[in-house]
Amino acid sequence: MIVSQAAVSESVAPVAMGWGDVLSQQLITGVSNGMIIAMIAIGYTMVYGIIELINFAHGDLCTLGSFLALTLVGALGMEAWAGMGGTAAVVTLLISSAVFCGALNWTIDRVAYRPLRGKPKLALLVSAIGCSFILVNIALFWGGLPMEVFGGGNQAAAPKDFPSLISNENLLGAKSAITVTWRDLFVVIVTVPLMIGLTWLVKSTRLGKAMRAVAQNPTAAALMGIDVNRVIGSTFLIGGALGGFASVIYALYNNTISFQMGYRTGMDAFTAAVLGGIGSLPGAVVGGIVIGLVRALSDGYIEARWTNSVVFGILILTLVFRPSGILGAKLREKV
Amino acid sequence: MSAAPMWKKLLRVDVALLILACLLPVVDQRWHLDMVDPMRGVMVFAILALGLNIVTGFTGLLHLGMAAFMAIGAYAFAISSCDIYPFQLNFWWAILFTAIVGAFAGVLLGAPTLGLRGDYLAIVTLGFGEITQDVLKNLDVITKGTQGINPLPSPHVPWWTATGFGMLEFTSEQELPWYWLFLGFVVVAVVVCRNLERSRTGRSWLAVREDELAARCMGIAPVPVKMIAFATGAALAAVSGGLWVSMYSSTGEPGNYDFQVSILALCIVIVGGMGSINGVLIGSIAMLGIANIALPKIASVMQSAGWVNSGSVFGSPNNWKYLVFGLVLVVMMRVRPDGLLPAKLSIVNAKKKNAVEPAP
Amino acid sequence: MLKNIAAVCLLAFAITPALAQGEKPEKVLKIISSLPRTGSANAQTTTMVNGIQLAIDEVNGKVGDYTIVYEDMDDASPQRGNWDPAVEAQNANKAARDESVIAYIGTFNSGASKISMPVLNKAGLLMISPAATYPGLTKPGKGEANEPKIYRPTGKINFFRVVPADDLQGFVAAEWAKDMGVKKVYILDDRELYGKGIANVFENHAKELGIEVLGREGIDPKASNFKSLATKIKAAAPDMVYFGGTTQNSAGQIAKDLHTANATPKFMVPDGCFEKAFIEAAGAENVNGSAYITFGGLPADKLTGRGAEFRANYKKKYNLKENEEPEGYAVYGYEACKVLLDAIPKAKTKDRAGILQAVSETKNYNGALGIWSFDENGDTTNTTMSGNTVENGEFKFVKALGK
Repeated sequence: MIVSQAAVSESVAPVAMGWGDVLSQQLITGVSNGMIIAMIAIGYTMVYGIIELINFAHGDLCTLGSFLALTLVGALGMEAWAGMGGTAAVVTLLISSAVFCGALNWTIDRVAYRPLRGKPKLALLVSAIGCSFILVNIALFWGGLPMEVFGGGNQAAAPKDFPSLISNENLLGAKSAITVTWRDLFVVIVTVPLMIGLTWLVKSTRLGKAMRAVAQNPTAAALMGIDVNRVIGSTFLIGGALGGFASVIYALYNNTISFQMGYRTGMDAFTAAVLGGIGSLPGAVVGGIVIGLVRALSDGYIEARWTNSVVFGILILTLVFRPSGILGAKLREKV
Repeated sequence: MSAAPMWKKLLRVDVALLILACLLPVVDQRWHLDMVDPMRGVMVFAILALGLNIVTGFTGLLHLGMAAFMAIGAYAFAISSCDIYPFQLNFWWAILFTAIVGAFAGVLLGAPTLGLRGDYLAIVTLGFGEITQDVLKNLDVITKGTQGINPLPSPHVPWWTATGFGMLEFTSEQELPWYWLFLGFVVVAVVVCRNLERSRTGRSWLAVREDELAARCMGIAPVPVKMIAFATGAALAAVSGGLWVSMYSSTGEPGNYDFQVSILALCIVIVGGMGSINGVLIGSIAMLGIANIALPKIASVMQSAGWVNSGSVFGSPNNWKYLVFGLVLVVMMRVRPDGLLPAKLSIVNAKKKNAVEPAP
Repeated sequence: MLKNIAAVCLLAFAITPALAQGEKPEKVLKIISSLPRTGSANAQTTTMVNGIQLAIDEVNGKVGDYTIVYEDMDDASPQRGNWDPAVEAQNANKAARDESVIAYIGTFNSGASKISMPVLNKAGLLMISPAATYPGLTKPGKGEANEPKIYRPTGKINFFRVVPADDLQGFVAAEWAKDMGVKKVYILDDRELYGKGIANVFENHAKELGIEVLGREGIDPKASNFKSLATKIKAAAPDMVYFGGTTQNSAGQIAKDLHTANATPKFMVPDGCFEKAFIEAAGAENVNGSAYITFGGLPADKLTGRGAEFRANYKKKYNLKENEEPEGYAVYGYEACKVLLDAIPKAKTKDRAGILQAVSETKNYNGALGIWSFDENGDTTNTTMSGNTVENGEFKFVKALGK
């Protein structure tokens, strides 16, 4: 209460922002948002790269990751963990959501996608759409749990506040016109190492090589002794785990989660994956950041109501001139 | 097929469906099933899905923006016919205009993008859907934005009233005239699609779907072929949009034509059986039957039985609808990955059985 | 092929629920509500349905010799996750055909009303909306030139609403802003019928009052955050931000992002956000003392007379804790049903026409929302609005607003 009073009185005289400040601020917002989109986009691009499935359920998988995180915050009373405890809380959330989403994504593949290997590609797509509906419904039920963090569970469908476990203090000092908070840094601190780690995994480990082999040619890979189903399963596991990380970052950065949030995050991430060149990991990252920046700049300098059009307009233009995305490899003919 | 006895030839799915459709109003009247009303929506979506079937089923292009063409059709119909605009065409001219605008929009989207391959095209169509949403919402001056446009004219059939069918006025609460009208449109759409499928164009669609490279070698230019598919599909979708809003006499709001509608259309085509016209009809009955007929009925029955507890999130059947709908999709695909009624008449598919299954 | 035909028949009949229409017991009056129960609006509509249910339970489901049967219909569909024109039309047609239905409580979205109003008008069926506030539905001259004529093909009025329309609420909101000394305002809306309409009214009246409008933006309600918009607003430095929209369309996230960016000292929203969920979504620390909420009526704890009874009964029936209050929408649902139930005894004939007549003659009705009448357009004459703020994570009544 005292804090908020202070905030109100402080905001009576906000620091004036020059155009340079505004631009920098927009760029900071754009990059932070873009990093989160990129994390989710990696999940799309990995799955697409290996089985050519647009995994519509991926965004909703992330929703469930956020709901798990909020449940843990409530159940373990994490809001009260002070000092290093705060860091411990964030790490706990990241790891548990990653494990949960990875396992769930693996299970979904096992139950809904694996029986459809070798069947028409679009059957797989519809199965993914079905999974997306199921996950949305689970999130709705989850929001109805009788817990304090879910508002007592009376209103399952209402958006839920995610407590600020990360300080919102301006690192550049209260006097500065530009605001950079721990949250912005947190997004970068978590995502960059994960992306580097993932790149290493795909480039240098046996599993990564197996993944690339399966992506190139599953039949040949199988003939070379690679257990294709296991490799695909691992891809879902890793993609899901990254989605789990992303869901916690999303929740801590935006501080609101709702059972339908997977729709827009999923669509943004999918767009990012395609923009960057679907199937390419660096492409997903670049695509995510580009979309984050375009969104921020369009909100800031055009009009928010046209932002979606601007994003998709840029996407279409990019694809018209670079038909396989910014970093996409030239499409190989699959005859 | 030629060996099949005569009676088997007569037992065709489309004929059976048509007979059932003709019987339905009678049965409905007798037992108060309240089915005729939702069937109108099913038929509109069947036309939309027939349009998508041309693009995705015949030509093999994944299209995630069909709702945009439905919206364009709806608004083209509304603007050309509503009395707050200067054009004020009657129903039939407006529907014709709608089809032309739809086809034109299809070409407009297709021209720069049809060179794209596979799922890159899919996301372009998705983006087109989102842009259409924004345009409809933001250009209030033309589209009335979120207000929607109403009232919209109903068809006027000159001889209809004259022949003593006066009780069957086309008004929003009379369902039967609409039912018969839409049934007529579906029949026409089916005939058009079937003829197209067997025409030279239709065969080039299938050729492009099966193997674009080989098709090109045989002298088929893929882009114009795809363009015709796009335009035809868009025209059908636009007509479905026009019929849809004419029935409700209002365009509703732009949000009614969002990505979810495109997804629904896609589910209809794939659940029904890609490239199979009868499959699309069955698919639309199955999908919308579950979502708009069965689920509300179940909810209503549960309510009158007193099984509903609105205090808990689990207690209300409405909160289970997503889950049921999703499960239906997953299970259907698991049981019938080729759809309920897979296309099997085409020569290409018959041959494919012997071919080596390409890598997934 | 035979298998296919069998499958077709099976499908056709599987979805034909062979519900034998039970013997119609005499003296049953049926009330239907058609509200979006699937998807994000579920939170608000649940409280409305609770309100309706309470009104019926208070009379033990009986008015005179007549048994009241209530059915809670959903006008949303799972594939849309929002109100669906097909389902709304289906509900309206079903209600129109069923002779025992005497009232249709709905709709939640004004767009849905546009579809069902002409249908129910021709059926002569009473329609009471607890939430559809688009002015053009009832008021000549406030919407398009042909409104509201087109919704009344028979020329008779059958649509009533117990909530004041947006043209009132946006108006008083602007006055309130002026009273608070706001000089510069930034206006946002969620690009939906309700939010955009109310923001338009606010904008027009704010300009008339000499408040400078620094900017107007329509947001994407599904966006994950509004931080870049908050930066833009911060640079414009308004005294207040007005958001025309609802909780489900991200009002909470906007409040949060504006507060975090330190963009504005005041944030005002209409009654679409007058629910606990708004504070919960925004996080109490982001709205305490800075959010201002207008509402078409008094908050539950300020109600007197029948309103106080409603509050006590509601809290008892739905096991609310001592510090919990019924949501703003609950009273709308309750009032819509209650005014109907109270009119039934006055109806000369207990059928659609009689009850419609009796409800339309409602004058000086002593209800939970105060003493009010239906005017010649079917609107409530109740113009009492309340201005509320948030303190310690709870809504706090500031003052009554009125024209």
